[in-house]
Amino acid sequence: MILGAILWRSVLLAMLWCILAEGNVGSWGVGAISTALALAASLAVLPVGAIRFSPLGLVFFLIYFISKSFRAGVRVALLAVQPRLDIHPGIETVSLRLPNGVGRVILINTINLLPGTLVLGLNASTLQLHVLDMRSSIEGEIRIAEKRIAKMLGLSLDQS
Amino acid sequence: MDVPELLSNILFLIGSVFFLAGTIGLLRFPDVYTRLHALAKVDNLGLGFTVLGLLIQAPGVLPALKLILIWLLALLASATANFLIAQRAFNRGIVPWDASESEK
Repeated sequence: MILGAILWRSVLLAMLWCILAEGNVGSWGVGAISTALALAASLAVLPVGAIRFSPLGLVFFLIYFISKSFRAGVRVALLAVQPRLDIHPGIETVSLRLPNGVGRVILINTINLLPGTLVLGLNASTLQLHVLDMRSSIEGEIRIAEKRIAKMLGLSLDQS
Repeated sequence: MDVPELLSNILFLIGSVFFLAGTIGLLRFPDVYTRLHALAKVDNLGLGFTVLGLLIQAPGVLPALKLILIWLLALLASATANFLIAQRAFNRGIVPWDASESEK
């Protein structure tokens, strides 16, 4: 299983290099070294077996992320350009249910990229958010993002 | 102008609308936190639509994938920078702007 995972990662990283070099065969010497270094880094940062990655989960996550980005983006863009500045920012605290690690990193990055929400800080079990428009509920949104990420990475959510 | 070219120009236009709105937000919004909100949209949707427009005219599969990779890396950098700036500001005790206060 570990060998399989290493093989998978090597193939993915080699493909990444292929994209960067745009298929240029002459650069494979550097490419092989870069791929090996990237593999070592990936094993150090994300040990084999920490997550069970689901490609179908990734597809669902991307659909969610892109459609949500677009809707939220249009809303924030309208807030920015309308003549009267009609924003109601505030801080909201939401409990965290994803386990520590890569899942949380993806959640925080997702929240920061979605227009209208921003992570101010986090501790072991809660997340402090800055919300551009407090008139709409944000907790439900975070729960959806959490569920999508958990599904993609094969993680279980803490039910507490 | 043929159809793909027209399509990419439309996508560029949509992307630039988001760039413009994000920049206006950056100038108009009252504090560091709300301004970061405006910027998240620029990298995500502004660059997103620009890349989409370029994808239509990409000369092959590998350059197209490279464009998507550029977008993903820009997103990662943007999200990380956003988080670091917001966390630092908050830890230093910069109080978020409040709509009710400004009306006093």
